[in-house]
Amino acid sequence: MSFRKRNIGLSAGVDRAAVPNASTQPAPPESSPGIRPSPDDGRPTTSTGSPSLDNLLAGHAGLPMGKILLIEENGTTDFAGALLRYYAAEGVVQEQKIHVVGVPEQWGRSLPGLIGTAESLEEKRDKRKDEKMKIAWRYERLGEFGAGVAGSRDAPAPAPAGEKDAIAKPAFCHAFDLTKRLTHPAITNMSFIPLVPSRESPFAAILKQLQTTIGSSPSNTIHRIVIPSLLNPTMYPPNACQPEHVLQFFHSLKAMMSAYTTRVTAMITLPLSLFPRSSGLVRWIELLSDGVIELCPFPHSADAVATSGAATSVEEPPQGMLKTHRLPVLHERGGGSDQNVGQDWAFILSRRRFEIKPFSLPPAEGDTEAQDASATGGMPKKSDLEF
Amino acid sequence: MPSQPPLPPLLTTYLSKQPESSLTLISSILGATSNWLVLRYLYAALGTSSSPNVTIGSDELANGVKRKVVLVSFLRSWEFWRAEAKRLGLDLARLADKQQFAFVDGLSELFNTPSTASGAPTNTGSAVRTTLPLRSQPGTVPGRGPPSTVTAERLGNEGLRQREPGTAKKLHFTGHGVAALDVMEKDIIAEINRQKSSMAEGDEMLLIIDQPDFLLAATGASMGIGATEMAEWVTGLQQHAHATVLTLAADSPLIHNASTSGIQQSSPIETEHAAFAIGMAHRARSVMQLRTLETGAARDVSGVLRISRGGGWTGEAEDNLEERELLYYIQRDGGVRVFGRGES
Repeated sequence: MSFRKRNIGLSAGVDRAAVPNASTQPAPPESSPGIRPSPDDGRPTTSTGSPSLDNLLAGHAGLPMGKILLIEENGTTDFAGALLRYYAAEGVVQEQKIHVVGVPEQWGRSLPGLIGTAESLEEKRDKRKDEKMKIAWRYERLGEFGAGVAGSRDAPAPAPAGEKDAIAKPAFCHAFDLTKRLTHPAITNMSFIPLVPSRESPFAAILKQLQTTIGSSPSNTIHRIVIPSLLNPTMYPPNACQPEHVLQFFHSLKAMMSAYTTRVTAMITLPLSLFPRSSGLVRWIELLSDGVIELCPFPHSADAVATSGAATSVEEPPQGMLKTHRLPVLHERGGGSDQNVGQDWAFILSRRRFEIKPFSLPPAEGDTEAQDASATGGMPKKSDLEF
Repeated sequence: MPSQPPLPPLLTTYLSKQPESSLTLISSILGATSNWLVLRYLYAALGTSSSPNVTIGSDELANGVKRKVVLVSFLRSWEFWRAEAKRLGLDLARLADKQQFAFVDGLSELFNTPSTASGAPTNTGSAVRTTLPLRSQPGTVPGRGPPSTVTAERLGNEGLRQREPGTAKKLHFTGHGVAALDVMEKDIIAEINRQKSSMAEGDEMLLIIDQPDFLLAATGASMGIGATEMAEWVTGLQQHAHATVLTLAADSPLIHNASTSGIQQSSPIETEHAAFAIGMAHRARSVMQLRTLETGAARDVSGVLRISRGGGWTGEAEDNLEERELLYYIQRDGGVRVFGRGES
């Protein structure tokens, strides 16, 4: 292609290489906060409310619009619920319309409080780190070691010239504090769709309400559909688990996503202990979702192992493993070429963030004694190294 | 990465040659979807006529056989197929206008027919139109513009409304059991016949049904549909096409749970799916099995493609279908590299 003049626009459709960059996707509606084009192929994406989950999603640095993300969780913990709250809170802050299915309005009051943009939190953390690490002053300019996914993909255009713009630019993702409660004028804008027990599909009413609200809303409104703990028997009637009901609901949801490609996203959590992945029903639910992520929290007895899994005492120990079974867009195309695929991920939920990072096996248990011995004995003290 | 030819050389023979009344089964799993392979089938059938290098009018393949495709998709939208085919250099919307391709939409309104009042302007519609220079409609009219001049056999509001976004005919599941399947079968056959009306002697009609197994899963015994009914449904459609390509999910819970050896009881959704999938494999001439690497994910391999003879392989001399196992890799630009194990 080098014979082609670079400053001349390529004619559409002729050149295959140019196609991914071309706007194959319908452009996002103007002036929609919280939407930005994917650095991968330019399709509009929105944030899930946790930067490291955004970065996991196959290079799109966000959840592409019109996609369903399914988060499965083993055990009795509620890490997936935290992710869902981030997702809802992010939507509230971006003044998108949130539809929550099946839970009372109380759920909306437990959204995590806003503490700034995600970038501001990142900066703060970096600064704190700089103060502590005096030894590594030489490497300061090389960037944070082991920043991993977050570091490489965060902020797609941190061009030096763009730094001033960044302040003016509305934030894509915000940081939230789980111990605080979100207060935002838009929070009253959330709509809660209750489950109405009926002899027919319990999902029919939900779907109808979603369709009418989304269909009747102005075309620049962005919607988020939040479905916590799908099929949980404390919330859903027994007949909800029948394949014809739940699978038809998913299919219709998918249809809705394709009808409003640039305006709707959905995040759904599913308790795996009740509905194991080895069952045909769950597999169909997964096949109907665009992204499937499984959380496997470590059991409490593994706390000791997990603690030593942290590389340093500063780092928090991972609380569980995260598996990506399917990623939006990537797997629809055939999958496989993303560098994040096939990695072992661990997640850490702290007060302020849900962090996903590569999992590394902790050093063998026996070694810690040896390490301790050497630390107290032969190795020079930290103060000796200070200069 | 160098850009790849739209049809991987190793697959060309498999993709471009489908004997009369043959069935090809593509099985996929969660992490290894079949869409890219379906697109290659589309390209093999339609590709030469839409490539910009060929002057319009010389639609024939080398041997003079024109091919037409009807794609029935239950899980993916027209927008997806159109955009992905475009990456291959295949303009499905234009081909649809030229009556070489028809899309039957089994996603949008399969289970919920929207009331006519909520006929919200579909923004996908306008997006489609901006890329269609050949369409007769004005480019900027949002979804509810006057219907195009396509005079469908079935007139009336319904028929015209359906023609509007792209070319999709929308399937509806109404009623119960076999009757509901019959309605859909009739709709699909109507679409096939509409294509056939412009077909010359010797032209071939390829029917691609994308994940009909979803229909089985989402209806089930309580709605009177089982593996047998589905198999008959496919047979009914097969009769109207020269060759048929079918994609099915073959995830292990859907296939293996059905065997009684397991500890847990298998549910109807599993047994029916297994019966349908295995039945289809027995009838198919060839089975293209897509799966991920057993050894875990790799940076340069997306998955494994196993081509094997199905139960319907005749074994005659002219039907030489070589069985083989290949690796494939989907590049970021949508190109696919297919290679043998150990090669690169």
